[in-house]
Amino acid sequence: MELIWEFLQTFELELLMEWFDQFEPRDLVLAASGLAAGIAMIAGIGPGIGMGMAAGMAANAAGRAPREMRGVTLVMLMGQAMAATAGIFSLVMGLLILYNNPLTEKGDTVSWAILVASTLGAGVAIIGATGQGIGQGYAAGKGAEGVGARPKWHPVIVRTMLLGQAVAQTTGIYALIIGLLLLFANPFIS
Amino acid sequence: MEGIGIDTISLPLVDYEVTNTIFNIWIIMAFLVVMAVVVRVKLTRVPGKLQLVAEMVVEGSQWLVDNTMGEDKRGFAPYTMTLALFLVFANLSGLVALRQPTADLNVTFALALITFFLVHYHGLKAKGGLGYLKSYFEPLAFMFPINVVSEIALPVSLSFRLFGNMLGSVIIMALLYSFAPVIIPLIGHAYFDIFAGLIQTFIFVMLTLTFITLKME
Repeated sequence: MELIWEFLQTFELELLMEWFDQFEPRDLVLAASGLAAGIAMIAGIGPGIGMGMAAGMAANAAGRAPREMRGVTLVMLMGQAMAATAGIFSLVMGLLILYNNPLTEKGDTVSWAILVASTLGAGVAIIGATGQGIGQGYAAGKGAEGVGARPKWHPVIVRTMLLGQAVAQTTGIYALIIGLLLLFANPFIS
Repeated sequence: MEGIGIDTISLPLVDYEVTNTIFNIWIIMAFLVVMAVVVRVKLTRVPGKLQLVAEMVVEGSQWLVDNTMGEDKRGFAPYTMTLALFLVFANLSGLVALRQPTADLNVTFALALITFFLVHYHGLKAKGGLGYLKSYFEPLAFMFPINVVSEIALPVSLSFRLFGNMLGSVIIMALLYSFAPVIIPLIGHAYFDIFAGLIQTFIFVMLTLTFITLKME
């Protein structure tokens, strides 16, 4: 413990904090907002991979059963629209941080460190939606393959796909909830 | 930004305040009750247009229950239809500039609690007390805490799913209206209100039916 503390002191953290202190708290939170909005969009990777995967599997399925192209495309689009919700969550979070970050006005009453960390945390939290996008896209692709192979069971396949995608969405929703909590109902500020 | 938060409305005549989401629920309830009464009063052997739509809704919910739960559980069709109709109108109420009641955690959690109690009531009824208790120790006895946690997670994830999706569309639509108030919001309404609203209605209803069936088996 002692060693770690000594190691940390070589960075002269106090100097760094003093350097930060010369800025207005509002400016620091605004700077953090810019960074957090960018970080939030990292979650766009997930739906990108997922929707691409779905498109690939659907193309394969359409190639095998060209007559079922219409059904395959429909299922692919429906599944991709579900997978896009992860991107929408990150977009919502990024836009909220940019345009409606309530933490920028709290600089007089709360330490700037808490505000900056909460803003950054909201942006980082939504990265959790990445997995949701990949998973839902995979499900969409498999659904499209299923419809191509057994078009008779189209309604059953779509129903199961949508149900499974809804459950896969859970963790993305949790990430969104934590991000919104940090911005609008922060327990450290009250 | 306007339209994101939940505001309070003070009622006339009585000295009482309600949130605007509760008020919108009352509007939807009144609409559904009036429609039900109108269809019931005009019931004829040769159906008119309104009756045709009502019959389609009833048959659709029966078909859904038959296909997901089995024909012996058709008794769930009335609740399925009530839930689906309420959720459809609640999710689509953003189209007529009402704030979606389903973008309020209190509303979605209440609905998820109804599902939670239905699941456990019918589980107890179908399996009996001992069989119901035994289901918590399956497949292995030490799985008991995991089973309990997953039961508690059910209403939480169910309510947050609907809430998160609808809140996302409320926020996006408010942002769209502040950026570009003409024409462009129409595209947003098509995806965020109609597509997402209908899909989330379907998912909430289907998950409710599936969870009840799973617990009864």
